[in-house]
Order: sequence, then structure tokens, then C-alpha cells
Amino acid sequence: MPNILKPVAVAILFAAASGLNAQPTPDAVDLSSFPAKAIDDVVVPVPSEVFLVLDKLGNPNWRGEMRESLGRQTGNRAQAALLLGTVIAEGFVAVEAEDPEKVKDIGRRVLALSKAINVEKAVLERSKSIIDKADVKDWKAVRKEFDGALQDVKGAMIELGDGDLAQLVSVGGWIRGTEVLTSIVRKSYTTDGAELLHQPALVNFFSKKLEAMSNRRLADDDLVIRIRKMLTSIRPLIGDEEGAPIPVENVKKINQLTRDIVVSITSQEN
Amino acid sequence: MKKILPVILLAFALTTALAYVDDALSFAQEAALPYVKKGFSVREDAWGGDLGVKEQQAMQAQLFKGNEYWFCLGTDVKGAVLTVNIYDSKGKLVNVETTRTGRLSAVRVVPPKTGSYFAIVTVVKSSQERTGWALVYAYK
Repeated sequence: MPNILKPVAVAILFAAASGLNAQPTPDAVDLSSFPAKAIDDVVVPVPSEVFLVLDKLGNPNWRGEMRESLGRQTGNRAQAALLLGTVIAEGFVAVEAEDPEKVKDIGRRVLALSKAINVEKAVLERSKSIIDKADVKDWKAVRKEFDGALQDVKGAMIELGDGDLAQLVSVGGWIRGTEVLTSIVRKSYTTDGAELLHQPALVNFFSKKLEAMSNRRLADDDLVIRIRKMLTSIRPLIGDEEGAPIPVENVKKINQLTRDIVVSITSQEN
Repeated sequence: MKKILPVILLAFALTTALAYVDDALSFAQEAALPYVKKGFSVREDAWGGDLGVKEQQAMQAQLFKGNEYWFCLGTDVKGAVLTVNIYDSKGKLVNVETTRTGRLSAVRVVPPKTGSYFAIVTVVKSSQERTGWALVYAYK
């Protein structure tokens, strides 16, 4: 159960400091009374949590959002991890588009990229399962397998002591997910759709993780530096106040920022 | 030996904690089963650890308005009372529905706004000094 290792360690280290006298269900709590590190990490949503809401808001053209090429790996580990994240996110888009051939292609690509960063074993079964379930168009099961593949890859990287690289997989997935989200929202703008972009804690969390990378080679990677700048640019565009409308101009700007980075990650021309 | 002992103790503590969480996770996943039947998808990852009585642990999560969530909590300690409550970023309770049966607790949330929420796990009562817990969530 590698995915649970980190929270366990966090709990061991910090929960003991949290000796609050809890009432059964208080209507409000003072969140500042928690030790900062006990609430340090943010649970990163899987792309389908966002896409599900988009489906409820309208009928997006998911096929139109799919990338023709999944990009190519250049040999750099940071790029490979980021690319893997974008490919897994693409898997969620292909599931929404209900395109079995694309899903199977992505399943195979996830395996190939995992091999490039030495975590092939962790996703071998997932990859097979993605292909099998796409064949019978069991979309819910395929979505679950992509979710599982993401967790397995990250878990395996953490076990190998590559926590920084694992973070890049999450970041890559989030960037591609955000590109798709903003693309759909800007084409058919509603304030409810744009509100999905209100993710300040997540943006701060990614920024902090990328700034605190212990692996200097990864931290100084050109793509990682560009992503840090992108996150800084996105932060003021998504607003501080929950429920405050995010204007269409901001949605377009975020789309451009994320699209540029996805192009760089996938090593393709604009 | 002096240098090795803390490592052995830490390894033992981690192994013990993981054993707690392993059992607790089974209960958390069991708590989520009824919602899978209602069309919810359960996230593959889980969060967990062990806490003393009256201690709390918070997890910050990004939730989306338009989705519905069930946070499901399990524990490995028979007779222990644990709660999970969800608060918005201002610390206001947003639970819509709660259930508790034996070692399983669950809370339903329909986020009024897209943003950060906090799942706070509390060990209210337990016969053990440390109580293992695990949390999963499902969304629809």
C-alpha cells in the first residue's frame, strides 16, 4: 500500500501535536489551531472529478478536446514524468469521448512511459486492464484504472525515493486537465463552469512542492522552471474569494498558459 | 548499535502503523461500498495513520461544486468512536448527511462552492492508546 505511506508518516510525525479537545460535531472550527504541517498536503483531484461537473453543465465536445498526438519522450526524466501525467489526463479525456482505440493507445503509452522511468512493473496490470475494459467499453472501469495507474506510478516512484518525480506526474496531469477544462469553459462560458478553476490551494501546493524539490537537477530543469512561472501567473487569475466569478478573459489566459506548457512537455510545435 | 536502534524503532513504528492502516483501510473501503452501488466512484488512493484519543488530523481537499462526495472512515479498533467532518476554508461545517455503524463512519458533502475543504478526523473514544484510521472518498 505505497500510496498511504506518506500520510502515515505525516500522521506519526504531526498528529501527536494535535491535542485538541474535539466536540462531537462543532458547526465551525478554527482551522488555524491545527499545526500547520498537519494540514500541509492537499489531496489532488483526479481529472474525472472535474470532467464530471463539466458533463453536468452541458455537453462538451470531448472528441474535439483530444490531442492527435500524445507527444514524444526526449529522454529527460522530468519531461518523461510530466509527459506521463499529461498522457494519463488524456486517458480521462478519451474516456469522456468514449473512444476505445484512443484509450487503448493511451493504455499502451502509459506502460511505455512508465518503463522509461523504471516503474513499468507497477502499471503493467493496469495497462492490460485499460485495454481489456476499453474493448468492452466499460468506461467507468477504464476511468478507475487510469485513476489507479496514476496512484500506482506515484506510489512506485515514492518507493524508489523519487518523490519529486512523482510530484511532476501529478503536475503534468493537472496542467493537461486544466487546459481541457479552460478550453471547454471558454467555448461555452458560464460562471458555474469558470468556478471550477477556483483552485488556489492546489496551485499554491504545486508551487510549494516545485520550489522545495530536493533533487536540484529536477528543480533546475527548464520545464520545471517554466511551470513554476506559469503557476505564479495563474494564481491571481483564479481569485481568492470562493464563489467570486472568474471572467472569461482569465479563462482564456489560463488556457493559453497551460496550452503553451503542454506543447512544451509533449515536445511539439505550436 | 546506538545508531541502529532508532532506525529499528522507527521501522517497527512504521510497520505497526501500516498494519493499523491496512485493517482500517479495509473498513473504510467497506464503508464506501453502498455508495458504489449508487453510482459513486471511489478514489484509488487513501489517507490514514493513527491517533490518540481526542486527537485530530486534517486533510485539505479540492472539491467541486456540482459533484457530490462521500468521505468514508474506517478504524481497526473495535468499539472505538471516530468521526469525520468536512469544513469549508472558513471553518464552517458543510456535512449534509452522516452515518456511523460499528467501525465505519461516512459523511456526505454537496459543496456549495468550488474550493478548498478540510476533512477532520477525530478519535472521540477508544480503548487503545493509538487508534488506526483510514479515509477514502467517493464522488458522483
